[in-house]
Amino acid sequence: MLRKLTPYLLALPLMAFIAVFTYIPILTSLDLSFREWDFMSPDRPFVGLDNYTQLLNTHEFWNALRVTALFAVISVPIRLLLAIGIASFLVRETAASRLLRGALFLPSVTSTVSIAVVFSWVFATDYGMANALLSLFGLPKITWLQSPTLALWVIIIVNTWKQLGYDIIIYIAGLQAVPTELYDAAAVDGGRRFHVFRRITVPLVMPTTYFLLVVSVIEAFQIFTIVDVMTQGGPAGSTNMLVNMLYRIGFTLFDIGQGSALAVMLFVLLIVLAVIKSRVLGRKVHYEA
Amino acid sequence: MTSKLQSTLAISAFALLASATSASAQVTVEFWHSFGGSSGEALAQIIENFEAANPDITIEAEHVGNYEDIVTQLQAAIPAGREPDAVIMEVTRYGLFAERGILTDLTAYLEADPLRDELYDFAREIGVYNGKNYIIPFNSSTPVVYYNKDIFDRAGFAEEPSLETFDDILAAAQQITDELGDEGVFGIAAPGQFARWGLVMSNDSNLIDPQSGEVLLDAPNTIEAYEWMASLVHEHEVASVDNVTDEDTGGDAFLAGRVGINFASTGNYGSAREALGENLVVRPMPCNKVCSVPIGGAGIGILESADQDVKDAAYQFMSFAANPESNAIWFSATGYMPINRSTAEQPLAADALESKPGIDVAINQLDFAQGRPRPPVVTWMRSSEYDLWQAMALGQRTVEDTLTEFAARTRDEADRLAR
Repeated sequence: MLRKLTPYLLALPLMAFIAVFTYIPILTSLDLSFREWDFMSPDRPFVGLDNYTQLLNTHEFWNALRVTALFAVISVPIRLLLAIGIASFLVRETAASRLLRGALFLPSVTSTVSIAVVFSWVFATDYGMANALLSLFGLPKITWLQSPTLALWVIIIVNTWKQLGYDIIIYIAGLQAVPTELYDAAAVDGGRRFHVFRRITVPLVMPTTYFLLVVSVIEAFQIFTIVDVMTQGGPAGSTNMLVNMLYRIGFTLFDIGQGSALAVMLFVLLIVLAVIKSRVLGRKVHYEA
Repeated sequence: MTSKLQSTLAISAFALLASATSASAQVTVEFWHSFGGSSGEALAQIIENFEAANPDITIEAEHVGNYEDIVTQLQAAIPAGREPDAVIMEVTRYGLFAERGILTDLTAYLEADPLRDELYDFAREIGVYNGKNYIIPFNSSTPVVYYNKDIFDRAGFAEEPSLETFDDILAAAQQITDELGDEGVFGIAAPGQFARWGLVMSNDSNLIDPQSGEVLLDAPNTIEAYEWMASLVHEHEVASVDNVTDEDTGGDAFLAGRVGINFASTGNYGSAREALGENLVVRPMPCNKVCSVPIGGAGIGILESADQDVKDAAYQFMSFAANPESNAIWFSATGYMPINRSTAEQPLAADALESKPGIDVAINQLDFAQGRPRPPVVTWMRSSEYDLWQAMALGQRTVEDTLTEFAARTRDEADRLAR
């Protein structure tokens, strides 16, 4: 009997941990999304789907969804393309490549708040370094964080700078797993460098690409800190992401019901996206050389 | 021998009991506040003095961010049961917490405290919500006009220009920008939210009527004041756009000698004086249509969830922090206004009034200072106003349309909160 129970008993602490810190909050959030609550009132009246319908009827929700989707659609491909390109140069084991790998990985382990604060100074219109550099070449000031068009691009640049090192390291691991015989054979056949990259490297690192795609899309839809520090969703809502909107509704405007409804919608959206990615790309991923 | 042993045991038992009794009488008050830097040091001094006078009470003070951070952290801490015993609350933001029964009604405490009669009327008034006292004033302020004399001199002002109306301020800011713009100096910092409220009041309006609670965001004079403020940035370009997207940069640039004029709280006096020294000049807020300034700052409230002995200890501390000696420490270090009628008689305060020019400007404005409304919707309104101000100041939306829509949303939100 004890022998049968042992595996369950061993797994129990971890299961309890996951239940307490993952599943119970998810279920609580789901419950709160059907209620009206402001953190302080003892009552949490059931309001059915009101929170969802109110959200769907606001311009802010559709704008935040559009901005977040735009951010993901632009930033994820840029990150992956840059990462695979740089990783293919840094895959060789030389002293310089090891140094560069470390340098590129540093932003990933640096505090996001610090990075966002520093880049706020860099991209300040009148006091920032970016415009100071432009002025050296006689170029006019650019309103980086005040222009509704440019502000999103600044967020994309900063986020890419922060996350790129992680993507590169994962790609290097993927590239190192590609059998060298395939490259040797391609060299014997006179394959050009680009063709070797396209026909051998890209298909064989597909599992890595797929993994990074899943992770980076989730990250993109959950971006918060950089936006909160640099633009607070402005100007004119042009960088207002779903999680920033969620924070504002829940923690600034005291509407926990609506904030939870938005969290549930984001959760469902990410699951739908994961299923779509799995259906569309999953078949193209091969784990054997 | 036996009797010696018995005596020793008896003494030991008594000592143990006495120490246990003393330990159980020790009360700790967890206190959240919003003061760092020199203000934080002044608060630490007051707490140290209090603990020396009350050795059975320990104040565990924690700096948890600005006023808005406190509101956010407090509402997250309440359902988790991790709220502090006492907390600094900004004067327009505590109404919601009072309404929801989170803050203790301090009326009985204050009625029995001689402090009640020592406080200036304006200071006593800021703690009253729906006829009851919920916070005891600690740091009170009004916005004032700060300017950098060195910048004014370099911009060619032979004598101090009038800074009484919006036109006066714009003219001065324009001259500074024209003369020193190439050196990266701006005429004025785009006003922060407290100053925006003050400028609306000096244009004979308000955001919400303090008496009736009526939303005045779309009143013609409010719109006119916002149009003027927004024009400083996008039309006249005498204020940096950076101050709009990050309000702190306006004050920082002023302290760094890159901005000529700055509207800010009198509580900024200490840091401004430290940065600019004798070049700091303080003047009253403009009286564009009328002379009227808002009273800002914060007071200390006690959480209803605290135990009775902790509440008593917390109130003792709050009363001590508002006494003339403590208030003099606070006033002389920060520039926040005296709240106690006897503060000015304290040597520290008298010395500050003598040696720190301009520290009395806010006090002189008290003749036309007004408390601000604090219904629950104010917290929502202030949080939402930032985005709209950005859109208006950057010229992305017209002021009239923005404020008309904002007023309607604020009325809806007020109705929702009242339900």
